[in-house]
Amino acid sequence: MSTQATIAKKCIANMLSVIEGVEDELARLDAFAGDGDHGAGMVRGLRAANEAAQAAESEFASQVVSAAGEAFVNTAGGASGVLFGTLIATIGENLSEDPDTENVYHALKAGTNIVCELGKTSVGDKTMIDTLMPFVEALGEASQQGSILIDAWIQALPRAKSGMEATADMVSKRGRSSRLGDRSKGGMDPGAVSIYYLLQSVADTLKT
Amino acid sequence: MTRLYNDPTQFKEDLIDGFTRAYSRYVRRVPDAAGVMALNAPQQGKVTVLIGGGSGHYPAFAGYVGKGMADVAVIGDVFTSPSGEQVYRCTKSAYGGAGVLYSFGNYSGDVLNFGLAARRCQKEGIDVRTVLVTDDIASASPAEIEDRRGIAGDFYVFKIAGASASRGDSLDDVEVFTRLANDRTRSFGVAFSGCRLPGQKEDLFTVEPDRMELGLGVHGEPGIESAIMLPASEIAKLMVDKVLSDVPSDAGNKVAVLLNGLGSTKYEELFVLYKDVDAQLKANGLDLHEPFVGEFVSSLNMAGCSLTVLWLTDELQTLHDAPAMTPGFTRV
Repeated sequence: MSTQATIAKKCIANMLSVIEGVEDELARLDAFAGDGDHGAGMVRGLRAANEAAQAAESEFASQVVSAAGEAFVNTAGGASGVLFGTLIATIGENLSEDPDTENVYHALKAGTNIVCELGKTSVGDKTMIDTLMPFVEALGEASQQGSILIDAWIQALPRAKSGMEATADMVSKRGRSSRLGDRSKGGMDPGAVSIYYLLQSVADTLKT
Repeated sequence: MTRLYNDPTQFKEDLIDGFTRAYSRYVRRVPDAAGVMALNAPQQGKVTVLIGGGSGHYPAFAGYVGKGMADVAVIGDVFTSPSGEQVYRCTKSAYGGAGVLYSFGNYSGDVLNFGLAARRCQKEGIDVRTVLVTDDIASASPAEIEDRRGIAGDFYVFKIAGASASRGDSLDDVEVFTRLANDRTRSFGVAFSGCRLPGQKEDLFTVEPDRMELGLGVHGEPGIESAIMLPASEIAKLMVDKVLSDVPSDAGNKVAVLLNGLGSTKYEELFVLYKDVDAQLKANGLDLHEPFVGEFVSSLNMAGCSLTVLWLTDELQTLHDAPAMTPGFTRV
């Protein structure tokens, strides 16, 4: 088995263990303006994703990540099931046989665009996109400067963090919390927090 | 709080198992899918009515499967839309060759997942139409009426859809009547306590003892505003005033009325409230047709209720009065 597929499998496994560890925190964030099930949905999706990833018999990261994303979509349910699952599946479909920083940037960009399209959302709507978009932009800049993947990824993380934190003061425009208007202000968006944990977990996996 | 469960992650599976055991005279489990279908489904040549959403709302959605209402319901985890894969499998199992009508509350998760299934079915040549339920007037202004979420109005919309399909209407007609029912239905809710998901340690939100939440949904979300708790008669007036502030166009004065309990508000309390709801509606010149009081679309153990009014037409009244026999609703 190639290193690429092995790294991809480790990334997905680590995502699951990180999210399992913060399930209650995600539930509390979601209860602030939503229905409190975001943590449970992420865990359900990632368990299926991890199972599919570990079972994938491929030497390429692309197939491992695609299989994980499809399993997430089919199992998690909810809006987050479709959005997170399609994000992961689209990243998988766009990974090359030997993913470098530029390729990973394009794969993430493609995934982010699909999420914006499906969720009819853009930056400032208090969603996962507020974390993801600045991260992807930072990754693109690092790619142009010629950084290797792990350096580029670590360099881009603070931008994702600022994006996530900024969602606390936003009024929700998408999803169940959007029905609350101004009362949705004051808590970070749970999807924006989840995606930050996922991005951070990938950095930790790539470091090892 | 939710007290009875085994493994919280298996809550949905356990409840489907128990539900189909108890009501095997009406429904059976959809093979290899999280759903239940009517014993007589699929009926060849009849439009298939598919409803669904997260669990925690019984009798919605599984309780409305049977003769005269839905052919099949897709069941998600508590307050979570089922996945597109599950919706697709349920559609295929209940498909009778005459098109499919999807109807469910307007929530992003449901819209995305049922949308995935609809597109997949359409690629296979199955005609799928979707009517979103958007009855909650608190969730968006009249200018953004199609953004409103669906609450207890689900019941009327599903009843009309099921009655139209059962008498042999075409898919076009079933869609028209279902849409008409939704366009003429308005709801407004109040809550006195939050609810707690299986296995969780805290309620989703809390309401102070001397206060109530106005304009909330059916998922333990906080309402749009908090107010001082009032006597039942004044809550009745408030709910009637809210619903009548948003009368659909071409509304006559004949209405169907549903006072819906959210889970832990007693039927007796609802009757106390209904006394004044009834009087207030009549004082506004409305002719009340067969009101219902009870749990029709609940929100786990939340305390609270909602008022739904459906402005009838002759055709809608005929469909409203048609027989139905399901675990959650029977009309002979």
